[in-house]
Amino acid sequence: MPRVTTQNFFPASVLAVQNAQLQEALRRAGSGFDGARREAIEEVGQGSWDKWREEARQIKVHTLEHLDYYLELLAENVERAGGHVHFAKDAAQANAIVAELATSRRVKVAVKSKSMVSEELNLNEVLEENGVDVYETDLGEYIIQLAGETPSHLVAPALHKTKEEVAQLLHQKLGVPLTDDIEAMARVARDVLRDKFFQADLGISGANFLVAETGTLVIITNEGNGRLCTSAPPIHIGITGMEKVIPSLQDLAVFLRLLPRSATGQPLTSYVSMVSGPRRDGDEDGPEEFHLVLVDNGRSRLLADPDLRESLNCIRCGACLNICPVYQKVGGHAYGWVYPGPIGAVISPTLVGLKQAKDLPFASSLCGACREVCPVKINIPRMLLHQRHLLSESPDPAERSVTLSESLLARLFTIVMSKPTLLAAARKLVRLLARPWARNGTVRRAPLPPASRWTHQRDLPALPTRSFRDLWKQDLASSDRVTDGRDSDSGVSPTGSSEDPSPNRSEDG
Amino acid sequence: MVEHLETPREEFLASVRQALGRSAASPPVPPYPRLEESLADLETLERDLLARLETGRDARLEALAQTAARRGWNVKRAPDPEEALGYLDSVVTQLGVKRAVRSAEAVFQQLAVDSILQRLGIETTIIARDETGSDENRSGAALRQEMIDADIGITGADYAVTETGSVVVLPRAGLSRLVSLAPPVHLALVRPQDVVDTLDDVFLLRRLDYYRNGGDMGSYLNFITGPSRTADIEQTLVVGVHGPKEVHMIILG
Repeated sequence: MPRVTTQNFFPASVLAVQNAQLQEALRRAGSGFDGARREAIEEVGQGSWDKWREEARQIKVHTLEHLDYYLELLAENVERAGGHVHFAKDAAQANAIVAELATSRRVKVAVKSKSMVSEELNLNEVLEENGVDVYETDLGEYIIQLAGETPSHLVAPALHKTKEEVAQLLHQKLGVPLTDDIEAMARVARDVLRDKFFQADLGISGANFLVAETGTLVIITNEGNGRLCTSAPPIHIGITGMEKVIPSLQDLAVFLRLLPRSATGQPLTSYVSMVSGPRRDGDEDGPEEFHLVLVDNGRSRLLADPDLRESLNCIRCGACLNICPVYQKVGGHAYGWVYPGPIGAVISPTLVGLKQAKDLPFASSLCGACREVCPVKINIPRMLLHQRHLLSESPDPAERSVTLSESLLARLFTIVMSKPTLLAAARKLVRLLARPWARNGTVRRAPLPPASRWTHQRDLPALPTRSFRDLWKQDLASSDRVTDGRDSDSGVSPTGSSEDPSPNRSEDG
Repeated sequence: MVEHLETPREEFLASVRQALGRSAASPPVPPYPRLEESLADLETLERDLLARLETGRDARLEALAQTAARRGWNVKRAPDPEEALGYLDSVVTQLGVKRAVRSAEAVFQQLAVDSILQRLGIETTIIARDETGSDENRSGAALRQEMIDADIGITGADYAVTETGSVVVLPRAGLSRLVSLAPPVHLALVRPQDVVDTLDDVFLLRRLDYYRNGGDMGSYLNFITGPSRTADIEQTLVVGVHGPKEVHMIILG
């Protein structure tokens, strides 16, 4: 398994916010992808867009409900096309299968097209241990491989690097001159990797979709490296999560409309490549062997939980990262594993263990933007709340997220809120206690938890000296217009009580 | 082999079934409509599709030209073969092409591409084992090297898609996967009868081929939509990474 640091989200996010270089890279990335996504949707019209989203969601929900059936159909049709299918229940199995395929065929050099699942499995390390030189060929992946880092974004893995950092890296690792010309940097990658494609004994790709009806692996790319990885070497291994299957070839159309637009705002990527088995007799070229490795690695746990199953609808477009106020501030690495952002916060806790990732469900303001942009309408905030619930109610103290002070406070709150007299007394008490700590309308540093945990990183707005209830009782209720709060319609009088300049309006203690 | 390292299929599927709360294998109820379609059903849909493509052909070609141009193709509409060849002439001349590779599809029999290239003194290799009539060695490494060294790759198109501005190629005998990929420039020749409206059209036709060929639709299919691109560094668009930097589409109508 790759290094999992999901348990460190909060400290890692504090460091991320203090990391000037990362903040500059995130600032430059800005809302580029999200802006392009909006424009692309505008072009097709919100009506069509919503129709596509619903269609895609229905397809995914149906397929997952019958995943066993579609996996079997897929496997039969891959084999009918001359390919081999391997099932792996976890990372160790998946890596062992690929390593054995590579070593038994004396593979020395492997080229890889971008695959998040291979990052999840840490496949490169295992291949290297088996004497295989592995080259990532997607530009972003190549950059982070050179840097010895992990991807920080589902679509743009090197989003956390500025061009200056990339130039420095290429200079150090490859000895090329420093430049600030991004085109020149891309050319370096082309020149270095071109030979590798044709030297390689093995091409490895992920899959965006798997078509059960025809046994077809589909990859969606822009650079052309995916085409080279699946065309030039004599063996092609596709490795992906078992949830990528869709029933019919014709189901693919709607996903091709949704995925590129959601990811980069493109109506379609430069290339969509569809692999159905190895080369046929008579073909001019193409791999002689095709293997498909289907990985569970925790996905059946998501499948088994009705509250989390829809997270497997995800098509890895990254739209929820691009809109998320938390991701935009802390970047991808703080999330501690391959899947960052809102969708990562949902799936990582189940895939790596709730205990190891108990901060992640809280890495969200629950603003709901991720749900709005999701092309397959995944209700991410609902699942984050579900996981918060699991964490707060967990019988295992090591897993439980709620501190003693919070849980006592919550109990106290329940009692106070159920008795108006207690509530009135509590209001007075809290005002009295808070007064010495308030300066200019804010409490900058509270002395006791849980308020002190809040003020550790944020200011707490101070309470006004008079509560709404006091104002109501003393000023508003005494006027002729309004006599009783329960007198429903008179609350907003046509004579316009808003013109009444309340003397208390600006008073905030 | 690797069987001993895998989870046996039945065991894997059983664990998926267990996660779904089911005990026995069963097809979806109700059945999935698209997978219930018979060949006859698909042929009815095909007739409707072909009837639709019979109408409004010029508007369709114009729509393709416009969408493709927005996706980064250099587009030339050439109803007349002379115009098409003239455009090809100007492209290779401007680029200073010395070596060209082309595939061997039907379109090259109706358009005298070779004679133009020959007249310009461009060394041209047809990437097809049948045409070179040579042995396996020639067809493997040497042809591959020709494609790597070429300044331009010229192919036909199995379909062109108006919705997306894409050219679809189905590598097979006579069409290497690399002609449209390895050289820095790709030029695609699109016949009017191969232009369809939508992605759905392409997939319907591919499914028909699949069922007509007893469950085989060939090993590979590529949608090509403009030049090779990346935005992996600071989301800045760069054209021409591992694939062609420049792409041309000649619509023969």
